[in-house]
Amino acid sequence: MLQLSPSEIKKNRTFIKVWTITFLVVFPLLIVLGLLMRMNQGEQINLGMDKFYVLMTLHGLGMAGLLFSTSFAALWYLLGTRHVKLNLGIGYFVYFMILIGVIGLTYSTLLGKFGAGWYLLYPLPFKNAIWPAWSTGLSIVSLIILGVAWLIGILHVLYTLAKEYGGLTNLLGWQYLGKKQVKRELPPVVMISAISLIPGVIAYLAGAVFLVMFLMQYFEPTLTFNMLLMKNLIFFFGHTLVNITLYCCLGWVYALLPEYTGRKWETNKILVYAWNATFFFIIFAYFHHLYMDFAQPLGLQYAGQLASYFSAVPATAVSMFGVITQVYHSKMKWSIVPLSFLIGVAGWAIGGFAAVIDATISVNTIFHNTMWVPGHFHTYMLGGVVLFIFGFFFYLSHTKEEQEKDIMGKAGFWLFVLAAHSFIATFYTGGVNSIPRRYADYKGIPIESTHLIGAFLARIAAICIIFVIIGFLIMTVSILIKLTRKKTAVMEHVQNS
Amino acid sequence: MFQIDSLLTIQSTAAIISFLGGVLVVLVVLFLMTTSHIEEDKTSVKHKVYKLRGRYFFVLVLCAVACLFITLRLLPYSKFQGEPEQTVSIVGIQWDWKMKSGAFDKSAEEFVKDTAAKKEITLPANKKIRFIVTSNDVNHDFAIYNTKGVLVAQTQAMPTYKNELEYEFSEAGDYHILCLEYCGLMHSIMIGTIHVN
Ligand code: HEM
Ligand SMILES: [Cu+2]
Repeated sequence: MLQLSPSEIKKNRTFIKVWTITFLVVFPLLIVLGLLMRMNQGEQINLGMDKFYVLMTLHGLGMAGLLFSTSFAALWYLLGTRHVKLNLGIGYFVYFMILIGVIGLTYSTLLGKFGAGWYLLYPLPFKNAIWPAWSTGLSIVSLIILGVAWLIGILHVLYTLAKEYGGLTNLLGWQYLGKKQVKRELPPVVMISAISLIPGVIAYLAGAVFLVMFLMQYFEPTLTFNMLLMKNLIFFFGHTLVNITLYCCLGWVYALLPEYTGRKWETNKILVYAWNATFFFIIFAYFHHLYMDFAQPLGLQYAGQLASYFSAVPATAVSMFGVITQVYHSKMKWSIVPLSFLIGVAGWAIGGFAAVIDATISVNTIFHNTMWVPGHFHTYMLGGVVLFIFGFFFYLSHTKEEQEKDIMGKAGFWLFVLAAHSFIATFYTGGVNSIPRRYADYKGIPIESTHLIGAFLARIAAICIIFVIIGFLIMTVSILIKLTRKKTAVMEHVQNS
Repeated sequence: MFQIDSLLTIQSTAAIISFLGGVLVVLVVLFLMTTSHIEEDKTSVKHKVYKLRGRYFFVLVLCAVACLFITLRLLPYSKFQGEPEQTVSIVGIQWDWKMKSGAFDKSAEEFVKDTAAKKEITLPANKKIRFIVTSNDVNHDFAIYNTKGVLVAQTQAMPTYKNELEYEFSEAGDYHILCLEYCGLMHSIMIGTIHVN
């Protein structure tokens, strides 16, 4: 185990506190954007189409970015206090670069009216845009800044881990596959970090490529690029970013859950095979975003469905069964931390299942770009990643004893979970009723029932969102009270572990 | 050839399967939480869970392969399509649909200026129809909604590419075209109509 001096512990603690508070401030603002969108779709307020799409773009980019950043920061903290010394100077540099990128995006959307959606599907940012050209430019530059920031952070972590464990293949756990006795144990969190972050590097490079192409077209509007290539790059980037956010979280679930169950969770052959397989699924599953592009080569369409289906094998048979092995008959106390992890894994399972269904080509023909899509990804982001993050925050701020006794935190948690799943249910119901996604409102749909169902579901959703926000606030108060104390639990758990 | 008559059942079947999956997850969670006060040695738990996992793995792979086998036989792509009885050309533009009977006789750019290409078209029921779909600016998505508001088929309308979708209308009445790929400001009111008789 890593030896840290008290001042180093303190510095790590301050770093993660900064991230915690950033999350707790930004997240509710982004939820409010979601609330406004649903109220507009429910015809309770009238934003106008232009503002709706501005909010949608900011919400999507903001949430995807915030959740990835926070998951990565938490992973950084756990690795940096337990396994390797990470350079906090780089950590803060990345933080401030992200901040600059976020300010740029907020400016270009809210003031520049940039509204091309969170993945800026080429060539939408350039064609008939109702927003000024500078806001397209600023968005591209801001995204490049964000991408570079993340790349720097990821590369630093990967490099430091590789140095510590003797090379990349050791990070992937390949030493477990041979016959030789493994000299140095590889903690699962380290392996999972590598397996999420290496595809992250590839994805950010792909992102860099298309953003630079965007920039070229921005300065030279007569240029055009191959549409199908651009789509592949964009979805590879977007899919991977969202996918590895979840896997980063699993890294710390693997690391922290055993502290509550008292059962070790170690790397073995099966775990290595499972996660190495996951590596490939992360990279190849994105083809399922292009099923309705009939021009895509047929082989890639098959690959998309195959990779999507088989990604369920390691996810369920290894990670979820791993969780079951951890908690079943363990005589554990369901304090708020393991509770968040278990319910988060359940959200991941439900959202993943809905994703696999939609990753079936013949089902995708009737679900593609309906509300089913936000349905499934909100399930594992809001009902999964966000709960993992909260679990981590409680772990950070509360002592073990406080985690068990925190009635208020638990009440907020259950309110949040129930309201979030009810909110998400309106998306699924919309999808089943063919309600399109990304519609500012449904007034223009000439089919009466579609219009009415869409608007009705949006109004139900708005009510649920209010309760999501209340649940969020209750948990936040509980976390902040404990986190801002002089001597916090963070000190204690780092010293104990 | 891609033709499923009661498409309604795809939506509802998917919904039912997902719902059952969700219920199963909730039951497992409840089971784990209500039985966790019991104490059992880790090795014996491992033994039990791994046995279950072995079976689960087998069933899962079997299911996945079976589902792949069933669902990959009927795909919407041109390789699976038959000979059409009628062809329609379609161009999406911000924010309108241009449709005309027959295969493309000119570029998408010229096509949208053709006054014969309109946002409404009349087509026969019970005939195999091939829609050749493209776009003249950004990505759109040509999605057919039936008279009851059920999404029955779609393909991306992509600049510089022509996607071919095959569909057979099963009843007379007004079908609608909605755009299902976000294409800017008026995406939600980019509507076309197909009168089927
Ligand atoms: C209570 C919390 C949340 C609410 C109320 C909410 C609400 C919404 C709404 C109404 C939409 C537009 C749906 C449509 O018509 O297409 C949307 C889209 C989206 N949301 Fe959320 N959301 C929440 C949480 C999250 C989280 C945690 C994430 C994390 C990744 C997220 C990421 C996205 C993305 C990426 C989009 C798509 C944006 C686009 O299409 O460009 N949301 N959300
Ligand atoms: Cu559109």
